Amino acid sequence: MPKFTLNGQEVEAKPGQTIIQAAADHGMEIPHYCYHPDLPIDGNCRMCLVEVEKMPKLTPACTTLVNDGMVVRSENERVKEAVRGVLEFLLINHPVDCPVCDQAGECRLQDYYMVYGLHTSEIPLGMKVRKRKVIDLGPMVVLDQERCVLCSRCIRFFEYVTETGEMQFFGRGDHVAIGTFEDRPLDNPYSGNVVDICPVGALTSRDFRFKCRVWFLHATDSVCGGCSTGCTVRIDHRDGTIFRLLPRRNVEVNRSWLCDEGRLSFHKLSDGERITRPLVKGRDGVQAPVTWEEAARSIDSRLKEIRDTNGAASILGFASPSATNEALFLFKRYLDGLGATQFDFRLDSEDKKLADEEDQILRHFDKHPNSMGAIKLGLMSEQVGGIEGAINAARAGRLKAGVVIYFKPLVERPGDAEAEGRVLALLDELEYSVLLTSHKADWQDSASVVLPVAAWSEEEGTYTNFEGRVQLAGKAIEVEGNALPVWEVFAMLLHASGAESPWMSAEDVFATMADSVSVFSGITLDQTRLPGVVVG
Amino acid sequence: MTRILLANIDKPEQASIVKYRERGGYKALEKALAMDQAAVIEEVKASGLRGRGGAGFPTGMKWSFVPRNTGKPTYLLCNADESEPGTFKDRILMERDPHMMIEGMAIASYALNCHLAYIYIRGEYEFVANMVQKALDEAYEAKMLGPSVMGKDFALDIFVHLGQGAYICGEETSLIESLEGDRGYPRIKPPFPATHGFLASPTVVNNVETLCALPWIIQNGAAAYAAIGTEKSKGTKLFSVSGHVSKPGVYEVDLGYPLVDFINNEAGGVPNGRKLKAVIPGGSSVPVMTAAECPGVLLDYESLLKAGSMLGSGGMIVLDETTSMPETLSVIADFYAHESCGQCTPCREGTGWAAKILKNIVAGKGKRSDVDLLLKIADMMEGKTICPLADADVMPIRSFVTKFRSEFEALCGDN
Repeated sequence: MPKFTLNGQEVEAKPGQTIIQAAADHGMEIPHYCYHPDLPIDGNCRMCLVEVEKMPKLTPACTTLVNDGMVVRSENERVKEAVRGVLEFLLINHPVDCPVCDQAGECRLQDYYMVYGLHTSEIPLGMKVRKRKVIDLGPMVVLDQERCVLCSRCIRFFEYVTETGEMQFFGRGDHVAIGTFEDRPLDNPYSGNVVDICPVGALTSRDFRFKCRVWFLHATDSVCGGCSTGCTVRIDHRDGTIFRLLPRRNVEVNRSWLCDEGRLSFHKLSDGERITRPLVKGRDGVQAPVTWEEAARSIDSRLKEIRDTNGAASILGFASPSATNEALFLFKRYLDGLGATQFDFRLDSEDKKLADEEDQILRHFDKHPNSMGAIKLGLMSEQVGGIEGAINAARAGRLKAGVVIYFKPLVERPGDAEAEGRVLALLDELEYSVLLTSHKADWQDSASVVLPVAAWSEEEGTYTNFEGRVQLAGKAIEVEGNALPVWEVFAMLLHASGAESPWMSAEDVFATMADSVSVFSGITLDQTRLPGVVVG
Repeated sequence: MTRILLANIDKPEQASIVKYRERGGYKALEKALAMDQAAVIEEVKASGLRGRGGAGFPTGMKWSFVPRNTGKPTYLLCNADESEPGTFKDRILMERDPHMMIEGMAIASYALNCHLAYIYIRGEYEFVANMVQKALDEAYEAKMLGPSVMGKDFALDIFVHLGQGAYICGEETSLIESLEGDRGYPRIKPPFPATHGFLASPTVVNNVETLCALPWIIQNGAAAYAAIGTEKSKGTKLFSVSGHVSKPGVYEVDLGYPLVDFINNEAGGVPNGRKLKAVIPGGSSVPVMTAAECPGVLLDYESLLKAGSMLGSGGMIVLDETTSMPETLSVIADFYAHESCGQCTPCREGTGWAAKILKNIVAGKGKRSDVDLLLKIADMMEGKTICPLADADVMPIRSFVTKFRSEFEALCGDN
């Protein structure tokens, strides 16, 4: 382990680390534009120049490997003067159009100017190099060449991460600009990432731009609900509305990236009307709103009645691979309490596709965030055989009642409508059905009871991704109407059935789950934060 | 004075392999092939030959940095991307005596155990490239190149690669990038080309003139070469002289030849009875010298450095008293702004900014503060970039502005 001195402080570096990396590990940020921890090093911006003893010139901290005994200074006058100079260079041809720039508030030019610059511009407006503005680069990205600092992060992203190479430099000298060949659209399922890694306002998000100034946004740490990869994300929201989804760096899962489908998946939540009150079908066959207490009492007594008449094996628990571990745990606990034995969650054949990734980067074939959680909690059985098996069993009269949780996938794919159709078929075949869902749909009329529940981002809970990594997703926004988190519905049902129901939060449920389910035993909620914990 | 490089330059049909061999050509290669590879390197080290492209790094030492037995091939790249304003020495060697370069490359390749070499010729020299290709074809036919060089167990192929007109591709790592088919961007060093060069393999990049000196050194011995020149600057050097002299052209002189004598005797002096004002001794990127600074200065690496300038590529530009220094600097600054590759910030933004300020000054729209701003920009660029292009702009800016400040200020007037 090489040790070196950084600004008078002895610091240890990992072998092969450059100065900027070792400094970052010790919480010291050396200013930079082109360096990015998840991209190959380029060394072009020259913002990270530092003084290394025995080196005549200042050297970039991003390209210089730490040597044992090295003495590095990043904060003395010589370095500050150099950094100030580089910053001044970056700003001479910059349009300084912060008032109309979407990056304002999270712009590295602004940030570093406040620390190193604070100089007056010495270049008259007419002398600035003019470049092209507002270039549409496909569905996700808008390019402003004038704001670009030419750090090449976007170019390197497409070259080394997606290996598709859409972007490149064009021209020479101070007329260099980034772009795609003949302005071709960025038709790439990961194109949104270049907006995140762009340190300035050159690449802005077509989806998010001009929607909200970033300083008005609140951030909630979460996990993407778009597929089984479970990318670690941050939800930026305000007043109950989600404005954007950004990747949080997690080297174990998604590094700094997020796919475009996942990035836009939150829009699905505002697509369609929400169910706001529990609905119970009366004798007239029409669903009518009731209170939660009435709903819980009626469900519990009706299920017990069916159990007593037809046996516990006639009750089906059909879970959703989009629900949290906590939801699925209490779902199973309640139905176990009734003596139910028939469980499944497979709307089509997720189990077969679990190992089948859609690409080698992030996107997983299984568009549900918690299929693995459902499996680990014992909600998959060959006896039931997925939803088709359940439909057949109901048709044959072996299954009489069912408690079904269904969430529309946040990332659409062909076959979603068919899957939904199978849920309807199941409800139709069952004599008594309880449906927990978030959004309204015509086919829900078939259910005996419809319970409005919180969707992704509206409740705290953990998800288990395809490799068994359990990660915590926070609650970003309030649920609409009287809807409740799924775990709370089952806590209520457990209470109604006379069982113990001591949980006040998802965290409490998690603790009970860790105590009682061997797969989760011994893990704490803290471990499910970055980078998450893999369970057996 | 010894004539090594230009010895046969004016002889008829020297470019043909027949005449070249009649005049003793390829004898040195034959001699080298009979020597140990390491002995050839030692010979070149002992000769004191230094890179003639501009940096003046000892050639033998550069070769000795190349690791052996890496499992990767070693490449020799001949840098014929002669682009420094004022420099036109390599061109004459390639046009008039191309086999000397080919022989030099073959000797270097043998010493380095290299079997594939490239000649990277600047895009504007397409006609030169055609001549070189013709010479290569002859050399292949005469079995000086190919699977068995001169019948020996040594294979060598040489290819010509024509650049696309970028000054930066004369910088060795950009040259390598360009040769690999990428944008001509300088690489961050380390790693150096000696270990990670062309196709991530050990690579030597040598200038045309450097390679052309090799046949003579092998043929006449290192001691004979080292006997020419000064203590640290050995051998002869080509100077391409342009500007206000009676006889502009390419001259070969022993290193250590007095600068003033060179201008007056070799280049024919400043014409029309005008007085010498300034000299740029080694290509537009080196600091300018005032006439007063010239006496006593010798044309060698050390003396010119001591005088505050550099030998550079030997592209000498002589300026007489009628020259406007701001205009001259503006032309030079325009060149570097145009040729900056744009990869790293200080050079990309600084060269362009400086060029614009100078244009303003020359147009009479400058402010007095602009003169200091030029010096500030020079400070902001110097030593902060990936390659030396920014420094190549800094040196003329700083020397012109400090040595001829009143001329700049006079143009700025009262603005």
